[in-house]
Amino acid sequence: MKLDLSFIWTAFIQILPAIPNTLFITVVSVFIGFLIGTFSAIVRIYKVPFLSQIASGYVTVVRGTPMITHLLIIYYSLSMLLDSLAKNYHLPFNSASIPMMVFAIISFSITAGAYLSEVVRAGITSIERGQIEAAYSVGMTTTQALKRIIFPQAFAISLPNLSNTFIGMLHGSTLAFIVSVVDINAKAQIVASTNWKFFEAYIAAALIFWGITIVIEKMTSLLEKRFSVFSRGGVK
Amino acid sequence: MGAEFNFGLIFDYFLKLLPFIKISLIIVGSSILVGLGVGLLVALPRMYKVPIFQRLSQVYVSFFRGTPILIQLFLIYYGVPEILKLLNVDVSRFDVLYFVILTYGLHSAAFISEGIRASVSAVDRGQIEAAYSVGMNGYEAFKRIIAPQAFAIWIPILGNLIIGTLKDTSLAFTLGVMELTGQSQTLGLLNRHFIESYLALALVYFILSVFLEKGFILLERRFIKYEKTSVEKSGNAFKIRNLFGKLNRDVIVVKEGTRL
Amino acid sequence: MITLENVSKSFGKNQVLKGIDLTVNKGEVVAILGPSGSGKTTLLRCINHLEKPNKGKIKIDNFQVDFSRASKAEILSLRQKTAMVFQQFNLFKNKTVVENVMEGLIVAKKLPKEEAFKKSVELLEKVGLGNKLNSYPVQLSGGQQQRVGIARALALNPEVILFDEPTSALDPELVGEVLSIIRKIAKEGITMIIVTHEMAFARDVANHVVFMDEGVIVEEGNPKEIFQYPKEERTIQFLKRFSEEEMYYI
Repeated sequence: MKLDLSFIWTAFIQILPAIPNTLFITVVSVFIGFLIGTFSAIVRIYKVPFLSQIASGYVTVVRGTPMITHLLIIYYSLSMLLDSLAKNYHLPFNSASIPMMVFAIISFSITAGAYLSEVVRAGITSIERGQIEAAYSVGMTTTQALKRIIFPQAFAISLPNLSNTFIGMLHGSTLAFIVSVVDINAKAQIVASTNWKFFEAYIAAALIFWGITIVIEKMTSLLEKRFSVFSRGGVK
Repeated sequence: MGAEFNFGLIFDYFLKLLPFIKISLIIVGSSILVGLGVGLLVALPRMYKVPIFQRLSQVYVSFFRGTPILIQLFLIYYGVPEILKLLNVDVSRFDVLYFVILTYGLHSAAFISEGIRASVSAVDRGQIEAAYSVGMNGYEAFKRIIAPQAFAIWIPILGNLIIGTLKDTSLAFTLGVMELTGQSQTLGLLNRHFIESYLALALVYFILSVFLEKGFILLERRFIKYEKTSVEKSGNAFKIRNLFGKLNRDVIVVKEGTRL
Repeated sequence: MITLENVSKSFGKNQVLKGIDLTVNKGEVVAILGPSGSGKTTLLRCINHLEKPNKGKIKIDNFQVDFSRASKAEILSLRQKTAMVFQQFNLFKNKTVVENVMEGLIVAKKLPKEEAFKKSVELLEKVGLGNKLNSYPVQLSGGQQQRVGIARALALNPEVILFDEPTSALDPELVGEVLSIIRKIAKEGITMIIVTHEMAFARDVANHVVFMDEGVIVEEGNPKEIFQYPKEERTIQFLKRFSEEEMYYI
């Protein structure tokens, strides 16, 4: 079987419609994950009793297990839960009526949340104690101090890690094919098996991911430059 | 969806999965070995700024870090035989395992090479200057002063990488390798007790991760003895001073704590 | 007038403050001296509740707080009546110089932005940094950063400004510029409590000197009393550590 380079282009075009799916899943999961992660980071930093232990456990377990296990466990257990609730309470819907993408997003959010919790936590704790003391000494409340002084600095410091986590979730979203979501990966498989040109189709998919990743990296660089003005800087 | 939930089954499945740990570990071990070799090769041109090869290295690293591992698995599985066919080498009857190890090897090589670069550049510049000032040449300085210190910094990075690769092997089943994940799917299908089998799977991976992590902490301790904590561990995040000169001291090249 | 009553603080088994009583009158400049570990910085940080005392009371004019039962609102009030100048400057890294001075005004004193800006520029010019309004702290020298810190404290118009070893982290040649600013403010009648190692400065600027050692106030009085005619043995020992030329006659 000879390599059909022109098919790479054809495959590329055919895979294109799946890109929004992939991006949608990634962005939503990272967003929800960020909320979960920030909440869990704060709870751990302030050592809120009971909640902080749960948060630590959550982070350790999720980070210590592969993403595919999260997806499989969430999918099967939520489906079963939903079905038994539907049966007992005579609800009009059951697990089959929920789009697969929802399961994927829920699972990926949980995964992202654990990794982002570490990123946020590291960002916040790396801010010197003196900054928050100064904020208190001019009369700010904790909330004001966090919002005006700590978070902006933590965000700037965390940018590389945030970006890496986003890229990681982008790549991880390829697992969605397991729950029959047609993302870039699934589309590539379809195109490949329909045309019996596997290598070419996957090259196209790889190039698409590579391209998106590079764009994100460049954007992150730009963002970093904007925010680093107060952490690097001229003279001293 | 499945039969009634049965806690005891989790432990039953757990035991049934244990024998398959061997193959997952074989994949991880071989991949890391390949990764170390290739990673070093890829890191050298960038550290010594060799023209052309430096660019090639950059592209290599960018590609293998910039594409999902699933895609890489398929790409190499379908692509390598095609390419080799052009050279009249027939690998179509090679065991899938070789392709899997090759993929994970090349993938981890990209991260390993970044890790090597980062560790070396994290060594205080003053150390190099001091080495030169007592009369060492470049090679001696590297061997006696830089490399040992860089190595101590590198150990936690390598640890993270290995744990990350272990988790990545959970995808090998897509090429038909009967490792942990594949087996857990089989077990699930047998009795329709999917949840229990996947929980058992997660448990196996978790225990392996914890085991590896503890192992690396011990290893770190042995090397950190003479290092004034240039690596601090806070929870699961790592901070390394002087990394790229950024205030963000968390290691950003690492697979585990940042990418999945 | 500020009164501290029976303030005690322990870190674990180590009792750092042992029932301190202190009165500071309005407009006074109080210098707190003492060896490392004497508790002087801890005492200062108790006043604005950056350290939580185990026991004791503080009274600022008619406002009183019992430290053993201080509520969040009381602590906030306390912090809004005081201002601190830190040893490590602690300027807000993500804000420009003028924004640093404005922060407290906008957030705590709820001043409108234009007013806060005007006031801040005034104060920054007063400390000699009118030309650095839009610089970030990372671009300034230590002495410059500390002067911004002082401007930030002044802007809040507090009942008392607390100085925590303001020059200890500075290179020797930068110490002078900061001390002269502090001297200037002292003359304007602002109540100040300064923890410092700069003996000559303390003697010059303060009108009340407190000597602390091992968590208690050993001796206090005006500079002449303390520096020239110290009564307690510990005070004498401490002052001896500084060369004879330091103890000139006022």
